[in-house]
Amino acid sequence: MTDSRHHRQRILPEVGAAGQRRLQDASVLIVGLGALGSPVALYLAAAGVGRIGLLDDQRVELPNLNRQILYQDSDQGRPKVEAARDRLRALDPSVQLDAIVENFRPSNAGRLVPRYDLLVDGTDAFETKFLLNDAAILLDTPLVHGAALQWGGQVLTVLPGGPCLRCLFREPPDPGVVPSCEEAGILGAVTGVVGSVQAEEAIKILLGAGEPLRGRIFQHDALRAENRTVEFSRDPECPVCSRHPRIRDLARYAEQVSARGHVLV
Amino acid sequence: MTVDRLNDEELERYARHLSLAEIGEAGQRKLKTARALVVGVGALGSPVALYLAAAGVGTIGLADHDRVRLSNLQRQIAHTTAGVGRLKVEEAARALGALNPEVRIETEPVFVSEANAMSVLSRYDVVVDGTDSFQARYLLSDAAYLLGKPLVHGSIFRIEGQVTVFLPGRGCYRCLYPEPPPPGAIEEARQVGVFAALPGVIGTVQAAETLKVITGSGELLVNRVLLHDAMAMTFREVRYRRNPACPLCGDHPRIRALVDYEAFVGSAAR
Repeated sequence: MTDSRHHRQRILPEVGAAGQRRLQDASVLIVGLGALGSPVALYLAAAGVGRIGLLDDQRVELPNLNRQILYQDSDQGRPKVEAARDRLRALDPSVQLDAIVENFRPSNAGRLVPRYDLLVDGTDAFETKFLLNDAAILLDTPLVHGAALQWGGQVLTVLPGGPCLRCLFREPPDPGVVPSCEEAGILGAVTGVVGSVQAEEAIKILLGAGEPLRGRIFQHDALRAENRTVEFSRDPECPVCSRHPRIRDLARYAEQVSARGHVLV
Repeated sequence: MTVDRLNDEELERYARHLSLAEIGEAGQRKLKTARALVVGVGALGSPVALYLAAAGVGTIGLADHDRVRLSNLQRQIAHTTAGVGRLKVEEAARALGALNPEVRIETEPVFVSEANAMSVLSRYDVVVDGTDSFQARYLLSDAAYLLGKPLVHGSIFRIEGQVTVFLPGRGCYRCLYPEPPPPGAIEEARQVGVFAALPGVIGTVQAAETLKVITGSGELLVNRVLLHDAMAMTFREVRYRRNPACPLCGDHPRIRALVDYEAFVGSAAR
């Protein structure tokens, strides 16, 4: 049966029939369905991931459409999770989709994260990126982090036990230090590269195949067309994944971390 | 050529590109008047076409004679289950039009060969290779060089892929690969597995290079091949130069018109 949906993936030795079943049995929560979440969701659905959680509390707006390829012009004003669900179903009607109209917060992380095998960061706010990192470590769930701005982007994978995002960047930048995507702009195709690399990482982790970006960060510069991976080691003083962490409990997150994700001392 | 200013809707739609100093309103107007041809609307052509349409490339040509198959949908994200059996160019045109109705899509439901490549390519400013055969790669490289058009090359094989840009006179596919693969040494990409998100990485790098070619921004992947391995998650770069002995773009060229690519590559490598 050479025209079955996942035939071309099943014949890869790195996947095989067992790997394809593993993907079918797997679940992924995509946090943020914007520029990064778009390619992530499309490629995970295409690859045959059985259940995908779509988490976003925003609606589709015109300035999204220069890069958020999940959506159509006619989706403007619709909740992103609904429009995304329609688009992914058109690609593969058998994929199970959980549409969650929420923002990722310390208060819902403990409820949402344990329902999935893996988390993918498609957000654009630093405090949410650090919260996702902390939740991944505290709840022993793998996370594929990604970020993009202007002509550049990065991906790294946090596996249970770390090292993690805070080993590399201890704290989120202070307000105003890094301009927002709205102020600074972003090349749509850059988010495609970053999101597609995130999708590759997610599929590899679910398969248990290949070398994930653990203790390594992928850095992409589209303007110079430079791509590299840089190794980093665990920070023995890491506030969340070291032996003596200051961030220990999502239920008491507000006492341990500021509203912007900074560790309270 | 004078170009109309962007209207209010365009200013909003492309706001994130207009904020980029290297693009701005002048660059966005260049995108609007540009004509890009995507040859092959499959694994690579899907993300290329989607991101070019999203970015507001004014006219996008889609050339492919194939129809959507169920086994394409594991990686060809411009297509849908309902489109199985339909022409890929028609299906992709529908997807691009839904994403950005401002963009003009020209469908070329033909197998691009030595018989029609010159006339098809001549109508566009930049060509993107989204094909999956060695015959097509040599054909597009020869035709783009002979027409003086930039060609954004991309290819994937199992878990690996590559991207480079051929600018006329700065090297071509024959400089990089003077000889086609030996018969039987390389399995045709049609028959081997493909890792789902790999064409996303390669195709979006191709899209970014195409947008840079059109807007004249940044440093292109010229005389450099980006090599990506999805499983090892590595990105390497190999440099190459125009080959002075290249039969196409060298100092004493012998190829002055398209050749028979089936005969050149050989049926054993198909």
